[in-house]
Amino acid sequence: MIRLQFYGLLRLMLSGKESLELPWHEGDTVGLLLEKFQAVEKIPVTGKLIDEHGTLHAGTIILLNRRNILHLKKLDTQVNDGDVLALFPPGAGG
Amino acid sequence: MGNGWHGKLLRVNLSEKICTIEALNMDWAAAYIGGRGLATKYLTEEIDPTTDALGTDNKLIFATGPLTGTYGAANGRYMVVTKSPLTGTVASSNSGGYFPCELKYSGFDMIIFEGKAEQPLYLKIHNQHAELADAAHLWGKTTDETEDQIRAEFHGDAKVACIGPAGENLVRFACIINDKHRAAGRSGVGAVMGSKNLKAIAVRGTGGVTTANPSGFREAARETLKMLRTHPVTSEGLPALGTAILVNIINQSGALPTNNSQFGTFDKAESISGERLVQTYLKRNKGCMGCVIACARVTKLTGSRFTGSGEGPEYETLWSLGATCGISDMAAIVKASYLCDEYGMDTITIGSTVACAMELYQRGLITEDEVGMPLNFGDADVMVKLVEMTGKGEGFGNKIGLGSYRLADSYGVPELSMTVKKQEFPAYDGRAIQGMGLEYATSNRGACHVRGYLVSPEILGLPEKLDPQAIEGKAAWAKAFQDVTALVDSAGVCLFTTFSIGVPQVTRLLNAATGSNHTDDQMMVAGDRIWNMERLFNLKAGITPAQDTLPKRILSEPLPDGPMKGIVSRLPEMLPEYYSVRGWGTDGIPTAVKLQQLGLV
Repeated sequence: MIRLQFYGLLRLMLSGKESLELPWHEGDTVGLLLEKFQAVEKIPVTGKLIDEHGTLHAGTIILLNRRNILHLKKLDTQVNDGDVLALFPPGAGG
Repeated sequence: MGNGWHGKLLRVNLSEKICTIEALNMDWAAAYIGGRGLATKYLTEEIDPTTDALGTDNKLIFATGPLTGTYGAANGRYMVVTKSPLTGTVASSNSGGYFPCELKYSGFDMIIFEGKAEQPLYLKIHNQHAELADAAHLWGKTTDETEDQIRAEFHGDAKVACIGPAGENLVRFACIINDKHRAAGRSGVGAVMGSKNLKAIAVRGTGGVTTANPSGFREAARETLKMLRTHPVTSEGLPALGTAILVNIINQSGALPTNNSQFGTFDKAESISGERLVQTYLKRNKGCMGCVIACARVTKLTGSRFTGSGEGPEYETLWSLGATCGISDMAAIVKASYLCDEYGMDTITIGSTVACAMELYQRGLITEDEVGMPLNFGDADVMVKLVEMTGKGEGFGNKIGLGSYRLADSYGVPELSMTVKKQEFPAYDGRAIQGMGLEYATSNRGACHVRGYLVSPEILGLPEKLDPQAIEGKAAWAKAFQDVTALVDSAGVCLFTTFSIGVPQVTRLLNAATGSNHTDDQMMVAGDRIWNMERLFNLKAGITPAQDTLPKRILSEPLPDGPMKGIVSRLPEMLPEYYSVRGWGTDGIPTAVKLQQLGLV
């Protein structure tokens, strides 16, 4: 299983839901998991993370086991059984 | 004058109780932009940098920028500039709210306070009329009470900036609070105000501010507003969750200093997160004057053992009164945040100082008898109590009021103070985010996140994503961010706009407002000039380049946990490159050539 954690606007959109488990399959990537996530939700959620072309928004943070996928293979990063994917729509502060 | 300026400076001699109006030095305004830069120029020219920060000879300057009070990019900021009693460096603290625009609309661009009042006074400004009034009846009152009283006796629509009891008691990190909840927060500017027996400034301004090129300004403003309203950070993230959105981001990144930076993650971070604040005490968001972002949190404590209402806490406060004290009690943090506003104290420094005291207690250096209670990490009630004692100047609170460096030093362990130049780190570990470590070490007012917010590229990926552990190129990034921030602070624009807009937009607004025709590069040079001027002030004040460093913990104790486990700061590798990109000598001193290029000699 893969655990998806929701933060920021994503959690607010999901009425406070903090996480979700999705089944893992050989060959799963971060991008594929986002598609699976969208498929199980009734509202458009992944649009807060990626645009209509499947490109990450500036400021989107996706951490795979606490490592930013921008420093891995972005949406093509391979995901393994038991991994944790933390999803943060763009946010900032100081 | 019709160019973003009124061309007027109000000089207030508190010793003589005299207010005089002077012409603003427009040559300086052109070279140093305004706000932070222009006020620092005046400070540099008018005080000896070695002077006692709490002595009569220090001056206290309230400065707007040429964009303060205009529209287009959250243009409602002012700066308080003085010599800091916490660090001995130049202090320049920024705040928003409604007071800055009201000051501008009164017809004054800047106020310089000098001398010291014999008895507590406050300044009343009604457009071009300024007078000092007795403040004996206000002394001892909280910032809330002070503002309410002044509005009742002076003008119901007046905007007020004031100190609370902490400023009166010369707490080294006392701040100046305006509009009840906005703070010129860092470096102890409130203590300087208290040392002058100046309780408050109340302003009623009914004029406006005009620009040199109104149609050009309208166009520039339209562009910036569109960018602010469409960028996901300024149009969605900040309004919905405020700065508190960062708690989970920074914790997951392994950069949330915990238990006085003994750890880099907090296992209860979720309890003090922005998401949790939305679910508990948040009532609505709120903006400063003319701001389309509206990141402030209006909150109220309900269903808790604590009571109260107000604004905040911000991310920094959730960390300082939370994670770094090992505290996960959201209600206690919210309450302590309210108390900091009411007594007028910097939440970052007080939280970090309480955390330092907790580590001193953990090590057996502070005893229960001294404090009057156990001082364990994670004890929320003790934290709230200490905040109150510090604000009131009671018991062990007087030691907390010195800041963590002087506290730890008094026990012979200054290395346990998480400070640079005696000012406490904000909420990012300098090991986990290498560029921030460099930025803390080189900041002109001691450790600070709003002098060059490298968290933006290193963690948030804005404007582009950098590896927080890489050091290559970080020196140039630090310089660029420091110079841009100096420009933005001087213009009178909120720093948060720069998540969406950049130097081209600020330059365009400035040109249209002031009637100039500067290039982006020239504006970056202006930022560089301001940075170097601040550096020169500090050098003359006796702050040597040897203080461009970090605590031993950050340099040599590897992070024990989280995704950055095993990492220390690589500052020694970055600092020489930083000096080089600044055009300074290897000794960290600006070269004669550099100063000549900037027009500083």
